[in-house]
Amino acid sequence: MRKRNLPITRVFLCLLTSVFVLTWPSLMNASSAQANTFRYEKNYSIGFNAEQILKVFSKIENLTGLQFSYSPADLEGIKPITLVEKRRNVFELLKKLSALTGLKFSLSRGLIAVLPNDAPPIVYKKVQEPIKPVKIDTLIQGQVTDSLKKGLPGVSIYVKGKTNIGTSTDLNGRYSIKVPKNSILIFTMVGYKAVERNTNQSVIDVMLREDDSNLDEVQVVAFGTQKKESVVGAITTIKPSELKVPSSNLTTALQGRIAGMVAYQRSGEPGQDNADFFIRGAATFGYKKDPLILIDGLELTATDLARLQPNDIASFSVLKDATSAAVYGARGANGVILVTTKRGSEGKAEINFQYDHSMSEPTKNLALADPITYMRLNNEAITTRDPLGTQMYSQNKIDGTVEGKDRFMYPATDWMDMLLKRRTFNSKANLSIKGGGKVATYYVTGTLNQDNGILKVDKRNNFNSNIDLKSTSIRSNVDINITNSTQMAVRLYGNFDDYTGPINGGSAVYNQIMNSNPVLFAPYYTPDEANTFTNHILFGNALGNPSDPASLKINPYADMVKGYKDYSRSLMLAQIEIKQDLSGLLLNGLRARLMASTNRRSYFDVSRAYNPFFYTLPDAGVVNNIYALQELNPTTGTETLNYQEGPKQVSTEAYMEFALNYDKDFGGKHNISGMMVGILRNSLNANAGSLQSSLPFRNIGFSGRFSYGYDSRYQAEFNFGYNGSERFYLDKRFGFFPSAGVAWNVSNEPFWKNFRKVVSNLKFRATYGLIGNDAIGSATDRFFYLSEIALNDGNKGATFGLNFDRNRPGYTVNRFENTEITWEKSRRINLGMDARIKDFNVIVDYSRDHRTNILMDRAFIPTTMGLSAAVRANVGAMKSEAFEASVDYNKSFSNSAWFSLRANFTYATNRYEIYEEPDYPEAYRSLVGSPTSQQRGYIAERLFVDAQDINNSPIQTFGPYMAGDIKYRDINGDGRISAADQVALGYPTNPEIVYGFGFSAGYKSFDLSAFFSGLGRTSFWIDNGNTNPFVNGQRALLKVYADNHWSEDNRNLYALWPRLSTTVIANNNQRSTWFMRNGALMRLKQVELGYTMSNKAANKLFMKRVRMYVTGSNLLTFSKFSLWEPELGGNAFNYPLQRVFNLGINATF
Amino acid sequence: MNKIFILIALATLSVLSACKKYLDVVPDNIATINDAFSSRVQTEKSLFTCYSYLPTDGDPQSNPAMLAGDEMWLYPDIRISQIINPTGWFVALGEQGISSPLLNFWDGENSGKPLYRGIRDCNTFIERIDGVRDMNSYEKGKWKGEAMFLNAYYHFYLLRMYGPIPIVDKNLPIAATPEQVRVSRRPVDECVNYIVKTLDDAALLLPEKVDLPIEEQGRITKTIALAIKARVLLMAASPLFNGNPDFANLKNKDGEQLFNQAFDPKKWERALAATKEAITMAEGNGAKLFEFVSNATTGNLSAETTRLLSIQGAVTERWNVETIWGLTNSNMNTLQSAAMARVRNNSSLLSCLAPTNRMAELFYTKNGVPITQDKTWNYANKNNLRTGTVAEKYYIKQAYQTAELNFDREPRFYADMAFDGGMWYGIGKYADGGDIWYVQGKLGQAAGRVDIRNFSSTGYWPKKLVSYLCTQTEGTEFTTQRYAWPAMRLGDLYLMYAEAANEVNGPTADTYKYLDLIRTRAGLQGVVASWSNFSTDPSKPTSKEGLRSIIRQERMIELAFEGSRFWDLRRWKEAPNVYNGVIKGWDINQRDAVNYYREKVLANQSFGLKDYFWPIKDNNILVNGNLVQNLGW
Repeated sequence: MRKRNLPITRVFLCLLTSVFVLTWPSLMNASSAQANTFRYEKNYSIGFNAEQILKVFSKIENLTGLQFSYSPADLEGIKPITLVEKRRNVFELLKKLSALTGLKFSLSRGLIAVLPNDAPPIVYKKVQEPIKPVKIDTLIQGQVTDSLKKGLPGVSIYVKGKTNIGTSTDLNGRYSIKVPKNSILIFTMVGYKAVERNTNQSVIDVMLREDDSNLDEVQVVAFGTQKKESVVGAITTIKPSELKVPSSNLTTALQGRIAGMVAYQRSGEPGQDNADFFIRGAATFGYKKDPLILIDGLELTATDLARLQPNDIASFSVLKDATSAAVYGARGANGVILVTTKRGSEGKAEINFQYDHSMSEPTKNLALADPITYMRLNNEAITTRDPLGTQMYSQNKIDGTVEGKDRFMYPATDWMDMLLKRRTFNSKANLSIKGGGKVATYYVTGTLNQDNGILKVDKRNNFNSNIDLKSTSIRSNVDINITNSTQMAVRLYGNFDDYTGPINGGSAVYNQIMNSNPVLFAPYYTPDEANTFTNHILFGNALGNPSDPASLKINPYADMVKGYKDYSRSLMLAQIEIKQDLSGLLLNGLRARLMASTNRRSYFDVSRAYNPFFYTLPDAGVVNNIYALQELNPTTGTETLNYQEGPKQVSTEAYMEFALNYDKDFGGKHNISGMMVGILRNSLNANAGSLQSSLPFRNIGFSGRFSYGYDSRYQAEFNFGYNGSERFYLDKRFGFFPSAGVAWNVSNEPFWKNFRKVVSNLKFRATYGLIGNDAIGSATDRFFYLSEIALNDGNKGATFGLNFDRNRPGYTVNRFENTEITWEKSRRINLGMDARIKDFNVIVDYSRDHRTNILMDRAFIPTTMGLSAAVRANVGAMKSEAFEASVDYNKSFSNSAWFSLRANFTYATNRYEIYEEPDYPEAYRSLVGSPTSQQRGYIAERLFVDAQDINNSPIQTFGPYMAGDIKYRDINGDGRISAADQVALGYPTNPEIVYGFGFSAGYKSFDLSAFFSGLGRTSFWIDNGNTNPFVNGQRALLKVYADNHWSEDNRNLYALWPRLSTTVIANNNQRSTWFMRNGALMRLKQVELGYTMSNKAANKLFMKRVRMYVTGSNLLTFSKFSLWEPELGGNAFNYPLQRVFNLGINATF
Repeated sequence: MNKIFILIALATLSVLSACKKYLDVVPDNIATINDAFSSRVQTEKSLFTCYSYLPTDGDPQSNPAMLAGDEMWLYPDIRISQIINPTGWFVALGEQGISSPLLNFWDGENSGKPLYRGIRDCNTFIERIDGVRDMNSYEKGKWKGEAMFLNAYYHFYLLRMYGPIPIVDKNLPIAATPEQVRVSRRPVDECVNYIVKTLDDAALLLPEKVDLPIEEQGRITKTIALAIKARVLLMAASPLFNGNPDFANLKNKDGEQLFNQAFDPKKWERALAATKEAITMAEGNGAKLFEFVSNATTGNLSAETTRLLSIQGAVTERWNVETIWGLTNSNMNTLQSAAMARVRNNSSLLSCLAPTNRMAELFYTKNGVPITQDKTWNYANKNNLRTGTVAEKYYIKQAYQTAELNFDREPRFYADMAFDGGMWYGIGKYADGGDIWYVQGKLGQAAGRVDIRNFSSTGYWPKKLVSYLCTQTEGTEFTTQRYAWPAMRLGDLYLMYAEAANEVNGPTADTYKYLDLIRTRAGLQGVVASWSNFSTDPSKPTSKEGLRSIIRQERMIELAFEGSRFWDLRRWKEAPNVYNGVIKGWDINQRDAVNYYREKVLANQSFGLKDYFWPIKDNNILVNGNLVQNLGW
């Protein structure tokens, strides 16, 4: 049994390493060979029609694999180029181009240097250049300035291809350097765009432009990319590196990182710790509120997102407004998260390896009352409610425990200490290889996560039942250039979880510990005389009902060691994409793309356990100090393992997408682009559970985007989605969702020239549109237009006959047919501004979402209609508004130091606008106008003083109550506390404010970053029912309750906990202000200190780059609520959130 | 490259052509409501669906008349350790409310059945039965009659519980407007007339007896329809519904008065006629009062034991001759397990139904008169101890000490009640007069309290509800004998007749006739003879008022624990006089007789005007502005 865990980690790493070793040399050969044997004689065909020179360059770069090097100043004034050439080699092409533009070109080692007209003439050679010995013979001097002609200090200058020849500018931006003839100088500095210059002059003055990412950067948008300057919608992109957290769950990193995203985490259990996240809050009260998640264009689940490695992510964007999401039609109403994974790039193999080892412990440990207090208060809880009640613990038992007598006779178990370690260690390894040549590029990556549980391993047991969750994923992204204009991408991805651990998971063990009695029995007993030869562990327990052998209590120790569970979960995904450039064939600027994909999911589990034998020491024996065990379940216990199979789940999904893209500049100032896409989606679930659920789930859609840009100043865009959903009746099946937007780049206007020094970029955006949502009702409501009727419902049957043996089932109508039900609609407006002011980038967005057609039950249908299912209609409406802003600041200093700050803030609120409800006589009962997650309940005034007080107060209708129980306010003054007295309480449970801020700084080899995140305007409720001590004679007692409750001796009318009881008192378990708490919190989410080895040192270790770092997450929490971790919400007994300390290394070879 | 282009083009074309049908994922034969009436086999299931809403009155967990009154009590810790669902008992404790009413048969919540859904399904059945193709018209009519009866019965059940109710004689369409669906409550008389008319219509279609007992026993017959009609009319003639000024203020929003304010003696005549018709029909089909006959299991029985089994058998003997309507839908296991005392150590028996001491006092003395009015029976000494002798050997264990209250009582007391020292014939031992079981109920004894549950909180058990063929073992096993719960039996009709006859004609031979038939089966003399010989008020049966009170007590004794008293006390408007008092039982936490036979107060009950009728769940009032709440809620 001990050997059951294969050392998968090692096997995996061995495999990866061997693959790597086997393929590395050949890959290197392939790529270097390609670099060396550039074929000058190869012929190309080109065709340009009034194309900008930069486009021409990039086209030639794409065709030949050569690179142009130019100074933008030299290209100013070059007219658009019209040129058609067939079957020419590169020299001939460059000659033609030179004739047209007057530019001169110099080809050297894969680089085409572009020189201005007045440069000396160049002779093109047809032969491959011999590699000459380098002579240092030219001294070059000059000054580097910024766009304001101020000298830039600290700019790095080096010779291209020879990093060993280099210098940097002085305080005035001046430099001098000796270089070989005909080399190229590269001027670089963080925050500025690098510039390359030919060394054909002895004085080279260079102006560096700020790296205005807004100008040239490409933005990932729905079904493609756009230049950032032409984006009109509200799209937030974050760097994947910001998502790096010391956790195996990516979603835990989302809080406070992305403007417009509301995220919070309610559990810390490995595998169950997904954060909840919404874009701009929840905008509907239907069942689906969470965003669409697309990974490489495929719709996947939040869990799939959680398992993604930040290292493998190329881009992470969130589409928030109508125009960016409209093309997703029916599926985009709640926002879209777009993730793309990395792709290979030409060059020799680059290997990146990252290893993290982390230690995690609860952010806050729960304090439980000591065993003596537990017994005393348990007795109090009984007698305080029923003076005649039998006390649970005799004075003898309490005294014996106080004296610390025999631990078996007077047990006092600290279950937490017995079963749980203080902390646990997890590790994670990620290895990726990327590279490729002309023919193909690849990105292959593998990750292994090892999460260990916090359970102690018991030596009495013959197997290890601690949690051991291994999550493996392998991804291979290969891009193949089939022809010059045809590309194919094949992506394969597999994600596998293998678990062994306690039967019901770690959370259940934690929960059982919190529901176990510390004093009723010992975890196990040493054998007494009668059990000298007994071959099993003598677990302790007690019977809830002496005459019922099934009424055993929870012994978490027995539950933990009695067996274990294995489960296996997998996702296999294959995706193929073909891109065809139709420029030469049909229309210049037209590209086609076909993508098809399928995935399979599976899950199964197997448990193996024995039924523990339980024993107890009878009271009579304890009193007389006789150690004789009594067997509690002699007939049901087993010594051998039993076996049980869990559910097996299999599902499959297929997806296909065909798209046409068109992008073209006309006359230098006009840009037109268009995109049309058709999609098909089909999924099947093998464990559907009912006929209607077993039918395939399908989506079909046709969408388009048309945009027009003028002179990089004005941008207009129209989008539409035309989508079908099988859920609606024929004439409602397809929906058309248009949207439009405009943007104005003020900073590109001539009149802005003078302000550019301060505000280098300013852009206003506005969009408006309609989006649909077919995920309404519930996921099981497949076909609203069909009635759903169960024809053999056993609960609706009857029995007759002399011998009661004529039995027939009956029918139940579970849904009435309704052909009118249709899409939920979202009308959304977004106003935004992007600005760069000095070194600050500011993005501000305001949005309003008016959601209509929300499906809801008709409120006016009375019971007397006799309907067995609700009648529903698209009548609900709500409005949500969001304001979000983000700011970042980047600054580099000459002394190789840099500093950056970033902050974002989101305020998202919503309210019911139309909500069908009964005509309440009390206006405050209507939900209309309230936020959807705002709770309703009673206003608690205080605890009752005594019976007199109760008699003088309005009647409370929730069940028996007495002095020390909660007194509620009679809002409507009718003398009774009933549902009519419920009012809106506190803030919504979904936080309305989410924010985050942090800084990163670097100096020489060190970098340090810290990040805070916070939630605001949110309330939660202490869960009275689930934290009520002594329930079932076993639930744990929180120390805070022990210290602060109402009692006969201490009639504190404002005590935290009302009069004790051993059952949940319905009167106190109503939602009320008594247990309401402010959920606002801020935490130091993450701190990271990194050290990057110098290049020299790294090179000695045959590495390009090595960074080591320590990370801490969830280090500090600031909140008004101090009883337990506030983000857990009301139930203190949930698996706690984790504080993690992580040590990691990232090396690139 | 061209090849690829062609491939893409082909793929696109095929995709586009497939699009049209792509979303038609639903096969043609998905079940709809039409399929519930597609054939005789399916239609039978639909009829059974109509039956499925029948309240399971044989189940103490859902029959309000069992635990929501004062007949039987439960143990105090049931909230902690709930072995049966005590919803009804919470009503008895005064915990009824409007936000989530207990035993809510309007909405079908908290152990109630959704009767308005049942009514809708019955109406659907009545609308659609004619369209079924493979059935003959006789059977269609018969089944339609059954559905009509159920429709009427569900209305009656609601009327008895909620007072005047909205009548749903036709189903409203799903797409009905808010105005259409906001139905209002109809006056009592209109409800009664609708129910009676529907029962009459149903009776025309129904057979007098089921055609095929092996399959159909338990289904509705004409006899049942007439008997229920009699019960409806008797209720309508009773003081609660016949000119009741207490409910003058219950009015619809438009001012329409829901309770008639003038007493109408014709209603009693109508009830008498209906009862007579029902009795004639029942007797014509072989119904008579059940008399037990010794069989192979019992061997020859003493007269005393035979008498007890006759009284019990009227309820527990499967399909006995007295049963007019036996409910086949109740799980008789729970009831009998809860009603059985432990005669040996058995940890599985629920054994928690506890008749109150008030019920013990209700039964007559062996002379057939109330214990407070028997010249030979000293009421003041009822709690004194007395030791059983050979004279009572069929009733009380010889040489066993028990209270005077348990001595010298009528056979129905010994047939209906088990108590500490009481004999229990059957339960696995059938040697009459020999070694048969007796109950030992004190602390530490087999039937006494061993835990916080599974015990009688009063020291009595409703033995009447337990078939003598049930068994229990030492340990955990027991078996029960299933019987059809008597929703209506001939004895009930006889007493209904006596009640109506007295109201119409006063004390006449005709009035005494059925009353005395019941008393004879119970081993008692006729009412006139008993009173004149033993009562301190010998002339009582000769006045209409005196006889009325005698008939009422007779009824409460004869139908004890059968779910009648709860409704009878209400319709007689006697509930406030009876229920405003203390519930008492013996001090069961005692080990010796001296301390055990002290009466202990278990609860203080109260009954006000509002308690006559169930509260309508407040949400209904909010949803339907035309619906008015019952008084006091």
